[in-house]
Amino acid sequence: MPESAYTLPALLLLGLPFLAFFALWLGGRGLNKVAGFAGAALTATGFTVAMLYAQPDVLHTVRFEWMVIGSFPVELSLRFDRLTCIMLAVVHFVAFLVQLYSVSYLHHEKNLHRYFAFIQLFLFSMIGIILSGNLLVMYIFWELVGLCSYLLIGFWYQKPRPVWAAQKAFVLNRIGDAAFLTGILMLFYYIGSTDFEVLSISIDTLQPGIVTAIGLCLFGGCVGKSAQFPLSGWLPDAMEGPTPVSALIHAATMVAAGIFLLARISFLLTPDAKFVIVCIGMITMLIGAVKATSVWDIKRVLAYSTMSQLGLMVMAVGLGSWQTAFFHLTTHAFFKAGLFLSAGSVIHAVTPSQEDADFDPQDMRNMGGLRKALPITFICFLICSSALAGLPFFSGFLSKDAIITEGFVWASGFGTLGYIFPIVIMFSAGLTAFYMTRQLWLVFFGEKRYHASAHVHPHESPAIMYVPMLLLSLFSVFVWFSLNPFDATTGWFMSFLGVEHPAHIGWVPVAATAVTIVSIALALKETKAENPFRVLSKEAEKPGFSLLRQYSNDFYFLAPFSYIADMSGKIEKYFVNAFVDAFAKWNVVLAHLLGWGDKNIVDGGIKLTVFSIRSAGQSVRSLQNGKIQSYFVVTITGVLLLILWLVNF
Amino acid sequence: MIDHILTLLIAIPFLGAIAVAAFPDNQTGTPRLIALVTLSLEILATVAMFALFVQDQPGFQLSEKVDWITLPIGSLGIVSIDYAIAVDGISFPLILLAVVVLFVGLISSWNIQKRTKAYFSLYLLLTGSIIGCFLAQDFFLFYLFFEFMLLPMYFLIGLWGGPRREYAALKFFIYTFFGSLLILIAMIALYLSAIDPVETARAIGLLQLEDLPAQDIILQVQQWMADGRIAPEQLVHTFRFEYLADTGNYIPGSLLNALSGFYILDIPVRLLAFWFLFIGFAVKLPVVPVHTWLPDAHVEAPTPLSVVLAGILLKIGGYGFIRIVDGFFPFEAQYSTVPLAILGMISIVYGGFNALGQSDLKKMIAYSSVSHMGFVLLGIAAFTAEGINGAIYQMVSHGVLSAMLFLLAGVVYDRTHDRMINHYRGLITVMPRYTILTGIAFFASLGLPGFSGFVGELFTLMGAFQSDNMHVLIPALSTLGIVLAAAYFLWTYQRMFFGSFWYKDESQSHLLTDLNTREISLLLPLAFLALLLGILPGLLFDITGPTVEAWIEGLK
Repeated sequence: MPESAYTLPALLLLGLPFLAFFALWLGGRGLNKVAGFAGAALTATGFTVAMLYAQPDVLHTVRFEWMVIGSFPVELSLRFDRLTCIMLAVVHFVAFLVQLYSVSYLHHEKNLHRYFAFIQLFLFSMIGIILSGNLLVMYIFWELVGLCSYLLIGFWYQKPRPVWAAQKAFVLNRIGDAAFLTGILMLFYYIGSTDFEVLSISIDTLQPGIVTAIGLCLFGGCVGKSAQFPLSGWLPDAMEGPTPVSALIHAATMVAAGIFLLARISFLLTPDAKFVIVCIGMITMLIGAVKATSVWDIKRVLAYSTMSQLGLMVMAVGLGSWQTAFFHLTTHAFFKAGLFLSAGSVIHAVTPSQEDADFDPQDMRNMGGLRKALPITFICFLICSSALAGLPFFSGFLSKDAIITEGFVWASGFGTLGYIFPIVIMFSAGLTAFYMTRQLWLVFFGEKRYHASAHVHPHESPAIMYVPMLLLSLFSVFVWFSLNPFDATTGWFMSFLGVEHPAHIGWVPVAATAVTIVSIALALKETKAENPFRVLSKEAEKPGFSLLRQYSNDFYFLAPFSYIADMSGKIEKYFVNAFVDAFAKWNVVLAHLLGWGDKNIVDGGIKLTVFSIRSAGQSVRSLQNGKIQSYFVVTITGVLLLILWLVNF
Repeated sequence: MIDHILTLLIAIPFLGAIAVAAFPDNQTGTPRLIALVTLSLEILATVAMFALFVQDQPGFQLSEKVDWITLPIGSLGIVSIDYAIAVDGISFPLILLAVVVLFVGLISSWNIQKRTKAYFSLYLLLTGSIIGCFLAQDFFLFYLFFEFMLLPMYFLIGLWGGPRREYAALKFFIYTFFGSLLILIAMIALYLSAIDPVETARAIGLLQLEDLPAQDIILQVQQWMADGRIAPEQLVHTFRFEYLADTGNYIPGSLLNALSGFYILDIPVRLLAFWFLFIGFAVKLPVVPVHTWLPDAHVEAPTPLSVVLAGILLKIGGYGFIRIVDGFFPFEAQYSTVPLAILGMISIVYGGFNALGQSDLKKMIAYSSVSHMGFVLLGIAAFTAEGINGAIYQMVSHGVLSAMLFLLAGVVYDRTHDRMINHYRGLITVMPRYTILTGIAFFASLGLPGFSGFVGELFTLMGAFQSDNMHVLIPALSTLGIVLAAAYFLWTYQRMFFGSFWYKDESQSHLLTDLNTREISLLLPLAFLALLLGILPGLLFDITGPTVEAWIEGLK
């Protein structure tokens, strides 16, 4: 490894969680009690290191040669710059809080040490993505993050559903990753490097068509990891994992990696590629928002909401402003993690003290009226959902407003049709406000419906759980990002990201606020209805259309895939094998003919030779049944005969 | 002895086989003990070879050559067959792999009870032939070892295999024999067309017997032959790899001289010979559609044989493809890049889909082998430094991982004699260590970075992208293989290991006990090896790199 001032922090940031992973994993159940605190302490150390070495204005790289193939060196490089500063801070901060929260939330787990080991492995991989200086390194950590997600979603491996969800997540991600890898290999072919510095200089030498193709392939990675249409199906199912995992991985950090990737490669996205990205983002955003208005599972609402917000961020990148996407990523990380932790606190509160098969503690129809019993959780949930809904004075308002503004700026350059995009974003923001109001009402207001089970006694969570929630809520307020609650462009965050010509349209915040308030009003009107949100109808949750078959033992996997697998099995059986069999039969016939010829035509001399060698072979015959030797003799004789024949020919 | 280290490497197993066969004691313990000693000696010899091998040096090293058969046959020149062996950066990693896998296979044969004497002597014969194949530098010698490998394999499957062992053994035999026949035909055509310039120089008196050949003498002989100044009786025909690879050594007007322009059915004879050789090795590799022997052979073979079959025998196909097919017919190989790459792509995708559809654990792994060896074909077809290096890497990686996978499949089969995936559920409860090691093997095989499978796939694909002869769409579509790998491995993992414990036959479920020490001591080193190669691929690329670089430059 070459000398570099940043070798040490890179080693610390990556090495500590990696070593912690091994220590906790191999340490066994004896570590259950301390694992969480040890993990949190390490993460705090990582945070300190990241902040000590934060030097946003200078680019630092750490490179070392991984291997040389022929004359082609493959380099691994890490980089520290502006983006890594923010991401490191966010990831460490959220991870620290989530680990503290988990100590209490999962205290009864037998394999708690393994849980925290996987969390550390996840941190190692996630930090790897953040620090990666070229796309190959990013891909390596990208896959490892996928592994961690698999392990953590499937943490409760005795239950079929989490394992199934884990596998679905991994396979769907793999589809995106295959595209990602293709993009990387194309860059190796056309440019010979995937280093961000090299790429930013030499990407202009390529034809725009090729750059578009590469950009879209790389975007494939984002489609998988950030749950974009059509690979979005895994995210709602990933909610089968423990709730703190959902908060850390499936809300704040891992799913944001796709956005981070786009921010890194924004310079190689051509207008064509960006247009595709905008469209994909918009579809995802709408699907997510619409689905979130109808599901009953408290975590699934948040999952669909995450999907929708990720779609919004992807759209922002497509609209040409990765900075606003990154801004929204940061604000979203705090309030969404806060929401998940609060949701976990609610689930914790309504989980029956005794086993009750009919009672689903995640179903919002089994909640209601919880604000008295869970005052702190309620406040946290309220603040974070206000941020998500985009109410003024909260962080979400600032970032969403910035994206909408970018949308209008972009549309004015694109033409009339372009206005569809910002208007759809406003519409989806309205939906967001609607479903968050619905969720708040279903959980905390109205009748108490949790008496469906006799064993539910709602109680506030302990401090180790609510302090992280409170801290995350605290960071969902506007002051941390911009002192002017209505204009993010004047804030430090946007200028820190290096926005050169900040766009600000005065009427956008007003319009956005109006849409939000109207939506909230509509939702509140619904609460007054006879059967608000149809909460009293106990219909089962209907699975939506999915390219993946829904869970059951028989109908299982990717439907088209299993169809092709069946087909290729049939081809194998009825075509390839049948052909070979027929071929073999004809060979046997031919062999008999040849055998007859051999016996009757080939002269006795050869026979004699064969016989004499064969009898010599008799002595070692006891070894087996004698066929070895005779076969071998025949082969050699055959070779000699063939040579003779060809020679005379 | 150090001068003849490679001969020693071949001789040890053969001597061991004789020792096992000759030992009068018919008890079960002795043959396997002799076999163990033999393979331990073999490992020592390999370590010695490792020490003598110079990594940075391209080309052949530790060469040994003895004139074996020299026979003047009148107007047809002189027959020359040499016992020539050597090792270079291409065969070296594969020999290391072979020794490791064969050793692992031996240890996992420890519990064989039936006819141990025959079993272990055949096993050692197989070992010797495999090593011989990788070392041979004379086509005739190579072919002898190549063919000889079939016999022990046939009997080992046919006698110690599962219920349908005869069928599987015969199918295996017919397929490989068919392939060998094509190789044989091409070999004879090659032999008739090429000369050994050094021996020819000696035959015409240009070079004294004791003199070392110089490059200018070789060029002079080639020039004289091209001008027709050498009488046919004095031409020394050869099987030596190094001479067959040089187009200057082909006799003017002969069958395979590039300038003769012979056609059979409108196909150039050289191209035909290329395809004959290719098909011969494609059966071994195996390439779709000549792969169907593989699942049957694997299913019926006893665990150690599956390990050897997937771990090493398939690699001989890949090795032969690099050394012989590409080595002798580089222009035809580059001309045929597209069909070869498409075959590779089909193997990857078709193998993957079939693996997804299997309910038999061993068949699933067998089809995954087809898919993974498709990457090897893709890399070789690309004919770029990355592609060939990647292909060798992928072979080593697959050798280690498939050995591990078949050992793992053997674990449950040993206990219950049942390989059906759907008959097991929730094994994690009763076999936690088994679950973890299977998880490692599965994730390593599906190409998780950090393990060797990822590097192999990355560089074969990269090589394919770098190739100027093929469209980027071929490797791009091949990436579907890594999606499928994730699907079939994880699906199998989920079905067999997670959920609540259940086995089809409840009265047998007590047999499902966790790994014993012997099994762990076999599996852990393999897992470690896969991890080591995945993190430090340079270990292997430093060996293969210089040779492949020089080799490709020489052929282009």
